[in-house]
Amino acid sequence: MLRDITLGQYYQTDSILHRLDPRVKLIGTFAFIVGLFLANNVAGYLVAAFFLVSMIKLSNVPVKFMLKGMKAIAFLIVITVVFNTFMTPGEVLIQVWKLKVTKEGLIMAAKLALRLSFLIIGSSIMTLTTTPNQLTDAIESVMGPLKRLHVPVHEVAMMMSIALRFIPILMEETDKIMKAQEARGASFDSGNLIDKTKALIPLLVPLFISAFRRANDLAMAMEARCYRGGDSRTKMKPLIYRRRDVMGYGVLISFLACIIVTRVLF
Amino acid sequence: MSLINTTNLSFDYIKRDEDGNVEGIIRAVDDVNIEVKAGEFIAILGSNGSGKSTLAKHLNALLFPTEGSVWVDGKNTSDTSSVWDIRKSAGMIFQNPDNQIIGQVVEEDVGFGPENMGIPTEEIWQRVEESLKSVGMWEYRKSSPNRLSGGQKQRVSIAGVIAMHPKCIVMDEPTAMLDPNGRYEVIRAARALNEVENVTIILITHYMEEVIYADRVIVMDKGKVVMQGTPREVFSNINKLKELRLDVPQVTILAHELKKRGLMLPEGILTAEELSVALQKLAGLRE
Repeated sequence: MLRDITLGQYYQTDSILHRLDPRVKLIGTFAFIVGLFLANNVAGYLVAAFFLVSMIKLSNVPVKFMLKGMKAIAFLIVITVVFNTFMTPGEVLIQVWKLKVTKEGLIMAAKLALRLSFLIIGSSIMTLTTTPNQLTDAIESVMGPLKRLHVPVHEVAMMMSIALRFIPILMEETDKIMKAQEARGASFDSGNLIDKTKALIPLLVPLFISAFRRANDLAMAMEARCYRGGDSRTKMKPLIYRRRDVMGYGVLISFLACIIVTRVLF
Repeated sequence: MSLINTTNLSFDYIKRDEDGNVEGIIRAVDDVNIEVKAGEFIAILGSNGSGKSTLAKHLNALLFPTEGSVWVDGKNTSDTSSVWDIRKSAGMIFQNPDNQIIGQVVEEDVGFGPENMGIPTEEIWQRVEESLKSVGMWEYRKSSPNRLSGGQKQRVSIAGVIAMHPKCIVMDEPTAMLDPNGRYEVIRAARALNEVENVTIILITHYMEEVIYADRVIVMDKGKVVMQGTPREVFSNINKLKELRLDVPQVTILAHELKKRGLMLPEGILTAEELSVALQKLAGLRE
């Protein structure tokens, strides 16, 4: 059961967004977020909404599936809305006891709620259409220029992909240790919070020891296979821009341009 | 010419306390001289703590001798400039299949070694295909390693090493964590590589059944080489093997006991078939 967990909730299907170079999607997500914060009026939000809806259509991912991801942060949005409605000073519309609903507050709340949901849907489109592997490759490639500043870009990307590979293994191991401890009378879900936390210690200690041992083994296996960092390494699946990727960048630039136009005009 | 050569190889594990002071020295490998020729299938046997794994790590320049020297394909492992050449010519398979697979997809893991060696992309794909096919894992190339069985994972690891085109593969107890089916798969893959592709194999194990196909068996105990010879020669000496706390294949023991009771059987019978043929001969059923 535990081995079925995938990180980044990739949705397996075929679409133009799935086939797009992961770098375009990564940069596109950033551009979209920047665009959201540049938009400051209704026209701007309309442009962003239009862009988002067309991306959802292009991604071939069912809208239902996408909204599932929203559930987790619905609470956050509600809090933001409530606070902004009541806490923003300005022209009072309704007043109940000490709570004032202001016009500015309502506008602010609506804006923030929209921004937050757009942001989350926008970035989930990226994770839904890109495998964690592709994403790591994209991060390595996009961050490439930072190598000149001695940022260990390749190493960070390698660490991310190894972490992704070992998550299911360590999950399984946690499961095993828990069962072994339970067989000897440990209980992980009784007592108060402090008891529960204490019960985790005999779980975490062996888990950490085994993780270190695995890391040691893996390092040796990597060295035995001639791994010596990112220099002079070739790629089995190099990232190559195709025509659709160039078009993707074109779409992004026009999106940002539209947002800027709405900002200037309205 | 010999592919691997160790001369008076010794290795000490130094035990230190928390402040880094030397607490004790354990000699894991003691004055070992072995020679492996290209194309041989060598098995190294030994009980726990006999130094066989330590010896294996010397052949891939993961450990360096305290005394003596190790030569792999004409290069001294102590020479730091040739470490990568040595690792290219001597691949290594470890015990735990989970801890040596780096890629999240089978084909990517097999490509990891060639990527490190700086092989051009097209050739990497070619090598990945060849090596996955040679261990019979080609149809699993798109799978996640987490979904494979132990034996399959270990075959992927072997493919990952073959893709580097090594002259020799050192397998450090590759079957210790596998079930009988997985053990059979891995040993069959290793034998096929040796026979078809003529890759030198050094198999470290404590399962006797895996040893009987080897060209030569080296038995280690307490860091020293104590016996050496063909499987038949080694297994003829049942008493010594028992002294070394090693199991002997059951058929061999049976034949040995029968012989003690007066049956005229040859020494060092290794398989049930051999025993049955020998018994039929004795009974006059066969020439």
